[in-house]
Amino acid sequence: MPLHTLMFGWEYPPRHLGGLGVACQGLVRGLLHHNIKVTLVLPFPGTDDEVDIRFPTRDVIETIRIKSFLNPYDSPELYARRIQHIPRETSQIYGEDLGHAVYVYTETAVEMTKDLNPDVIHCHDWMTYEAGVRAAQYHERPLVTHIHATELDRTHFSPNEWIYGRERWGFEQADHIIAVSNYTKNILVQHYGISPDKISVVHNGSDEAHAIHVMGDTVPAVAKKNPMVLFLGRLALQKGPKQFLKMAAMVHAHRPDVQFVVAGDGHMLSDLVDESCKLGLQDCMIFAGKVSTPEARKLYAQADCFVMPSLSEPFGLVALEAIAQNTPVILSKQSGASEVISHGFKVDFWDTEMMADCVLTVLREQPLAMQLISEAPRVLQKLTWINQADQVHSIYKNIINS
Amino acid sequence: MNPSICFYFQVHQPYRLRDIRITDIGKGDQPSYFDHEKNRSVFRKVAEKCYLPANRLMLELLNRHPSFSIAYSLSGVFLDQCREYGEDVLNSFRALAATGRVEFLAETYYHSLSSIRDTQEFCEQVSLHVHTIEDLFGQTPTVFRNTELIFNNELAQVARLMGFTGILAEGTDHILQGRSPNMPFEPPHFRLPREKESVIAKNRPLAKRSDKIAILLKNYRLSDDVAFRFSDKSWVGFPLKAETFTDWLTAGGGHSINLFMDYETFGEHQWEDTGIFEFLRSLPRMWEERGIRTATPSQVIAEWADRSKEVYDAHNVISWADTERDLSAWQGNQIQAAAFRAIYDLGPLVKATGNKELLNTWRKLQTSDHFYYMCTKYWNDGDVHKYFSPYDSPYEAYRRYSHALCDLKTRVQSKTKPKKHPLRP
Repeated sequence: MPLHTLMFGWEYPPRHLGGLGVACQGLVRGLLHHNIKVTLVLPFPGTDDEVDIRFPTRDVIETIRIKSFLNPYDSPELYARRIQHIPRETSQIYGEDLGHAVYVYTETAVEMTKDLNPDVIHCHDWMTYEAGVRAAQYHERPLVTHIHATELDRTHFSPNEWIYGRERWGFEQADHIIAVSNYTKNILVQHYGISPDKISVVHNGSDEAHAIHVMGDTVPAVAKKNPMVLFLGRLALQKGPKQFLKMAAMVHAHRPDVQFVVAGDGHMLSDLVDESCKLGLQDCMIFAGKVSTPEARKLYAQADCFVMPSLSEPFGLVALEAIAQNTPVILSKQSGASEVISHGFKVDFWDTEMMADCVLTVLREQPLAMQLISEAPRVLQKLTWINQADQVHSIYKNIINS
Repeated sequence: MNPSICFYFQVHQPYRLRDIRITDIGKGDQPSYFDHEKNRSVFRKVAEKCYLPANRLMLELLNRHPSFSIAYSLSGVFLDQCREYGEDVLNSFRALAATGRVEFLAETYYHSLSSIRDTQEFCEQVSLHVHTIEDLFGQTPTVFRNTELIFNNELAQVARLMGFTGILAEGTDHILQGRSPNMPFEPPHFRLPREKESVIAKNRPLAKRSDKIAILLKNYRLSDDVAFRFSDKSWVGFPLKAETFTDWLTAGGGHSINLFMDYETFGEHQWEDTGIFEFLRSLPRMWEERGIRTATPSQVIAEWADRSKEVYDAHNVISWADTERDLSAWQGNQIQAAAFRAIYDLGPLVKATGNKELLNTWRKLQTSDHFYYMCTKYWNDGDVHKYFSPYDSPYEAYRRYSHALCDLKTRVQSKTKPKKHPLRP
């Protein structure tokens, strides 16, 4: 009998806004590779009657879709803003506010999975924790809570107390916790009072294939373009887009030929556009909006340097995506990715001066850029989802047997 | 007859770089590239843990055992730091020198890699070092040890032409091919290119060239038993007692057992609480009881004198670093190669300015440690790096270094005397 995990998720490609969906997919595929049966329960913002449609997107995966307007990066304010555009009769059913939406999701999700017979329950981030806890109680099975991002990461340590409370409750109820980095594990220990013994770190994997450099491929025959420095991520406080602009202003003062691209969408966009004009960056700063995966790859490949200035980044898959495209990276020290990527610059997110200095050094010193891109991608061979899912598998076996 | 024991300790501290920023470059009023606070604190820390207590112990041993002798190589930049941060340390070395049984070896003043790149510069740095040792300790070195025991056949000939009668090298297995490292060797005989010979003749530190040069090889197994394995609890030899170690020393036979190691082994790499000082303290008495002599490198060579020596044939460059024992610790990747190229390319321009301060700064940037900190060999996948570096990463080392070079370039350019226009015909 293969081990069966009942998993409560938030988002899943192709419907995803951020790294969580990508990580979930990677993990599920990795688990399938190890012959684990996965039933995945997802909120689904459909408008027709799609409740309880189970369809295998791949051989063994079973997906249960729960109609909901939940979005994994929600705060009560953002949820309220979004729900305004939904017809009132619909919003009443799926949640008038964030709390209600989670309640509806939980009720439906638990109800619809009662006839399953899982060996372990696994839930991802706070919105699914109550569903996970209740399913675990119902099935009398151990509970694993996976933490991809805490409320403290999203709000730069000024949390919504209610969400913070839901998270802590979920951690306390769990038999075991999987954190995506030591950075996140430390937050749980320090700010949520969780025992470190109960937390395992499983770094995110990456199925990004390392793009092999073809000589002459990146340097076109025509004169070298202006150097380009890239930001890619949701335009939210957590991701540090303002720090990116500050850094850009300093780089610009030194080297006016450098282009900056900010790729991604989010509620800070208009502020950021204003800010970049105030800093005099209007001619060298491009806001590219949300980009598709192939577009993102192209941007990484074109960039001479990728900067991830996150204020608090549990992992930061974008950093792995960038090194896969042979781009030197400068990472916030306040990130999980900086734990696994040894060959890059690591800077405190607030030290935008140092960030600018590293960018300028990478742009000036060709041997440095070459050294970084020849060494950094090696970690991708080790950090595959098959390997990372194997660690999750071991955690399952341990808690089932204990 | 028992082999004699030849102790040589390397003493060196680099000038670590401060957090130079790109915005500092070309300002002209750059005070210094070096992190004086850091350098002072490291120096004082090592002085308290190693240099001072170890020198006290050595003096005690030299006073108590009239036949005990040892050798040091003190890098010039270490001596500079003594003058800046620790006259007490310098005085304790002077006290050792006054016993008459401490030999000082010659090396490049700046603990540099100049031997593999620039013969003229190499000769100048060795001369500077030899004269400094003469001034400080009243003796003229006759044995040469190159930075990190970097060695090949050519270097042995260069050292001979410089006037040295001996040179130290790592006793690597692939060159020894089963022979014991406990005998003096010699390099294969050949002539250097004439221009090179003439460069050396003009910049020789010693009065005349030497006819012969002996190679003393580090017995790396026995040296590393003390330097690296002494406190390793998983090591089969742990805990190492003076008696056992002496048994091992005599078991190998030969003319001399050459124990070459960093002086920081005592108290810094192996902390005092490992018992390293007590171990060292008990060795001379045990050797005296068993009739084992100590000898300095020049004594070892003199005692062998005219007896024939086997050839130690190092076609490729060897060193005592890492398991590879080659140049890869300083020349193994692109940033190291780029930094190395850039610093030496600047040489002619620096010398053309005739500015002593620029020359000194340029030379301090040649210290091998700068390149060592850029090594990425062991810098993998979140592993804790296995060597000591004052910087966060090899890339940070390169960032600071490349900024220093960029600034030095602008300073050199501003000090370069503009060439007069040649008169038109």
